[in-house]
Amino acid sequence: MRKFFLFSFIWVATFISGYWINTSWFSDKQPAQPIAFSHRIHAGENGIPCLYCHIYAERSTAAGVPGVQKCIGCHQIIKRDAPEISKVADYWERKKPIPWIKVHNLPDFVYFSHKRHIRAGIDCNSCHGNVAGMDVITRVSSLKMGWCIDCHMSHNVKNGRDCWTCHK
Amino acid sequence: MSRFLDKLFARFNIYREPGYYGKYDYKWTIVIDLDKCDGCEACVIACHAENNLPIVGEEECSKNRAFNWIRIERYVEGEYPDVRVKFIPILCQQCGKARCEVGCPTYATYHNQDGLNVQVYNRCIGTFTCATYCPYDVRHFNWFSYKWEAPLEQQLNPDVTVREKGVMEKCTFCIQRIRAGKDHAKDEGREVTDGDIQPACVQTCPTGAMTFGDLNDPESRVSQLAKSERRYRLFEDLNTDPSVIYLKRVMKQTKQ
Amino acid sequence: MLKRRDFLKALGLGGVGTGLGFMLGESIKTPATNLIPYVVPPEDIVPGVANWYSSLCTQCNAGCGIIVRVLEGRAKKIEGNPHHPVNQGRLCAMGQAGLQALYNPDRIKTPLIRKGSRQSEEFRAITWEEALSVLAENLMKLKIASNTEKLFLLSSVIRGHMGHLFETFMQNFGSPNYIQYDLFQHKELIFANKVSMGINILPYYDIGNTNLLLSFGADFLNTWLSPVNHSLGYGHMRQGRHGSRGRLVQIEPRLSLSGANADEWIPVRPGTEGILALGLAYTIIEEGYYKGQDINEWNKILSPYKPEMISELTNTDNERIRTLAREFASARPGLAIAGENAASYTDGVNHIIAVNILNHLADNIGKTGGVISNPEAPIKKTQSLKDIDALLRNARAGEVETLITYNTNPVFTLPHNSKIQEALENIPFVVSLSCFMDETTAHADLILPTHTSLEDWGDDITEPATGYNTATIMQPAVSPLYDSRNAGDILLSTAKRLGNRLQKNMPWDNFRDFFIESWKTIYEKQRHTYAGEPVFEDFWNKVLTQGGWWDQEKRTHQSIHFIKDNVKRFISSSPSLFQGNEDEFPFYLILYAHSGYYDGRHANLPWLQEMPDPMTSVVWGTWIEINPQTAGKMGIREGDLLLVESPYGKLHVPAYLYPGIRPDTVSIPIGQGHKTYGRYAGNRGSNPLDLLPGISRHETGTIPLNSTRVKITKSSEKGNLVKMEGITKEFDRQIVQTIPPYERRQN
Repeated sequence: MRKFFLFSFIWVATFISGYWINTSWFSDKQPAQPIAFSHRIHAGENGIPCLYCHIYAERSTAAGVPGVQKCIGCHQIIKRDAPEISKVADYWERKKPIPWIKVHNLPDFVYFSHKRHIRAGIDCNSCHGNVAGMDVITRVSSLKMGWCIDCHMSHNVKNGRDCWTCHK
Repeated sequence: MSRFLDKLFARFNIYREPGYYGKYDYKWTIVIDLDKCDGCEACVIACHAENNLPIVGEEECSKNRAFNWIRIERYVEGEYPDVRVKFIPILCQQCGKARCEVGCPTYATYHNQDGLNVQVYNRCIGTFTCATYCPYDVRHFNWFSYKWEAPLEQQLNPDVTVREKGVMEKCTFCIQRIRAGKDHAKDEGREVTDGDIQPACVQTCPTGAMTFGDLNDPESRVSQLAKSERRYRLFEDLNTDPSVIYLKRVMKQTKQ
Repeated sequence: MLKRRDFLKALGLGGVGTGLGFMLGESIKTPATNLIPYVVPPEDIVPGVANWYSSLCTQCNAGCGIIVRVLEGRAKKIEGNPHHPVNQGRLCAMGQAGLQALYNPDRIKTPLIRKGSRQSEEFRAITWEEALSVLAENLMKLKIASNTEKLFLLSSVIRGHMGHLFETFMQNFGSPNYIQYDLFQHKELIFANKVSMGINILPYYDIGNTNLLLSFGADFLNTWLSPVNHSLGYGHMRQGRHGSRGRLVQIEPRLSLSGANADEWIPVRPGTEGILALGLAYTIIEEGYYKGQDINEWNKILSPYKPEMISELTNTDNERIRTLAREFASARPGLAIAGENAASYTDGVNHIIAVNILNHLADNIGKTGGVISNPEAPIKKTQSLKDIDALLRNARAGEVETLITYNTNPVFTLPHNSKIQEALENIPFVVSLSCFMDETTAHADLILPTHTSLEDWGDDITEPATGYNTATIMQPAVSPLYDSRNAGDILLSTAKRLGNRLQKNMPWDNFRDFFIESWKTIYEKQRHTYAGEPVFEDFWNKVLTQGGWWDQEKRTHQSIHFIKDNVKRFISSSPSLFQGNEDEFPFYLILYAHSGYYDGRHANLPWLQEMPDPMTSVVWGTWIEINPQTAGKMGIREGDLLLVESPYGKLHVPAYLYPGIRPDTVSIPIGQGHKTYGRYAGNRGSNPLDLLPGISRHETGTIPLNSTRVKITKSSEKGNLVKMEGITKEFDRQIVQTIPPYERRQN
């Protein structure tokens, strides 16, 4: 009997710790990107506004990631020989897009409109965190439905709790 | 004991209180004039294109598993040469007192504030209760996760999700268009006007038999049409309070 | 204390636990996806926001305008163009399915050249350079040998500039043999109208404003002429006019979709629609409704058509003929139309002329709600210089060296008794400009893939227009998916390779240049009508934005002159000829266009295969419609496989018991029975055209579809009939409620 409890305890404890190991050290909140682009340098130190690069955010459901042309616009001159930036130049030469790993990934059945949220006056940082301070872009919000609903409820969004507001 | 259970489930039962659905923001309604409908099935194909409906193939069609969120039913009366054919498009009636909403054990289907019967694919576990309860037989089940042969998947509408195996689906009055219409109106700082939003079937109907609009708005076309003396609703005596109003066909009766 | 064994067990358990926990964490993560940006973001694309392009629908010959919803360079939805005068924002099922032609998995992606024999249907991919040089080489050989008339160019019916380019090419090459062939060309209608009313262009049948529409075998709501425009008109006729509701009487042996919506169906004997029309005309004269000066002449012409004399022939009650004639003459306006079914008899032209006479005597011509003439188009209509018969004859005689086909499939749409396959065998070099591997393309030596209409430039001069000049522009909504080319481009680059005259007279680099130049000329000539667009570029932008050009203010109606002397020759009191003697072949065979497949061209679109046929709900197959009483007598049940034999061919088709057909008639839809045509259409159903004799009509060079009788034998097998309907009896369920006409009040 005691052995049974001991074994169960070990099993449960290691199960939980296995899960914990996964979420802390193997989480997808901060995936490695093909180029070590630092938001801290661009948005923080240099003060580039979010919408300069993420041009579609205010007019479309998708915010978009800047095309290689946007990067090369400055970096054909600025620090073009730095190791990471020469990778950008390489993509530009080959006319290939940079294959970023998506950090804020919503499933296909979710309708999320950046345009609507930005026009409602929500600051980019409230969902994406202090991006200007991130060297590697990290997902700070859970992006789970409960998180969305909490915000909708606290802001008294019209029809905010209706399933068909967000589910396609 | 039953009082205890009632209290326990009170939060879930508020949807069933009479008058709960009485105050809508909008009351989306489709009016279908059966004297104009000629049974051409343009609406059927438009719906397939708009809502990512899969092609099931001959075998599955023989088991009546085709996805026609809107279908044309044909009733034939009389014998040669006095044959009378009648067509009626049947789509989800978005019932005000929907039976499917009552039956679903996981609340995957409920009534929203626009007067629409919402189907949430994520909650659906495929018990078929809703399909069994529906008197109009408008619910379709995804028996498989259907595939589109490349490059047909490039045509899929990104505003509508692709359903997986095991969930029920049905006509949504093109909620993606309603949402886009409201979004567009909000961008322009105005209310949604009549004629702004049209589901795919209504937009394509060649005879103009279908009209879509807000019944709460007394100026809208559907409100005018709904006053017609030819109006009726399907299976009205079942008390489902449908949001689809039909206008009777003008037709000589057969010699019986 | 723990024993060593237990310790090891605990360790193992711990490892497994950690592993499982880890895997749980892993499995509930959303899979990593990439976020791929543009390299150079296109200026006109905002991801998530649609662009709409106006274009032309080419799914049938009506020429409706469409707008295409394009998201990030992919076409997502086709809608009717709200500005276009023909369809005014509406679109039929075939039009909606155009997307599946663009993204069809069976499209030809590269030029192909034949590997084995023609029967083997084996091809290998080659480059455009290679393909074009093969073509140019072949044509050069013809030129050198002075055999330029041995080049035949066969295309579908094209009314726009592509047709002009083909004509110009053939002229400059030195061949008069440009043929346009489609199964449904309305040649009988055009010929009949020319002969009886002296007009070259199809008139506008103003269904929307008429009070009594007599449809002689016209499935105008579904497949005839301009279905969307007619449907709009029908809706308006029924419930669009306050205080009046138009009536529809359908006169045909097989109840079509339009007939199903009629207030009355007159199941006339096949081949006697024209005779019935003349019986109505006779009554109109006899009872004094016609007020013309030449009433005596008409009396003489129509004297054989007394209702009492023709009622037996047409199998119609003579009293009904008289009352119907009175209703029609008093409708003011009424409208009589003769559709594909009537035109498809051997003497189809006679039936249409009879209906034109009826319209004339009831004073419907040139009136709102009647037959309204259309003005001549500003662009000369491309005329097919020869008939398909010319191709068959010349090929058989060995007078065809090279055949180029574009967008047409005669191996399927001609009955095999016309010996089209043998004719093709006799042609040494066949080039097919096509998107799909249809039957004709599979028999070609060289295949050059063309763009689908959503990727292409072009235009169309609408016929019939709606009372004023209408031209629709087709512009690409998406970039070409594969290595295909515009057919005009192919001919222009070939012209360049052939040198001399061709190169000089066809200097354009591509089709788009050619057609914009021609539009510039039209604009210059008609400048006075484009007040507000002083510069061609502005005019062109406006035309591209709205989808075409139509001049609603300038409705120049030509007056129609009825030519009595001509019509005398063409009317007859004998029913149309059906091949096969009545004893051996007891049933009339009526063929009709399927609402989805049309003439078979859309059988490769899965949406249309799965669309239930409106009158029978059958999907994915062919069927034969047989009267339930006849079936009962023959012991035929629904789904039984029947052997249908005509004097010219036989088919196996499953039976469908159809109350809307005469007991002495059977009917099969056209469209299935493809041997090749991709995965959705190939080897499915049967092609009823194979039951027809291969004889074409004298006046129009077209094959009459309703020209043979058949016999039916029940086979022992069960056919494969998949239908979507359940019970078609309503009982007391009150599903489709009706009110009788006299009680009707307008909304």
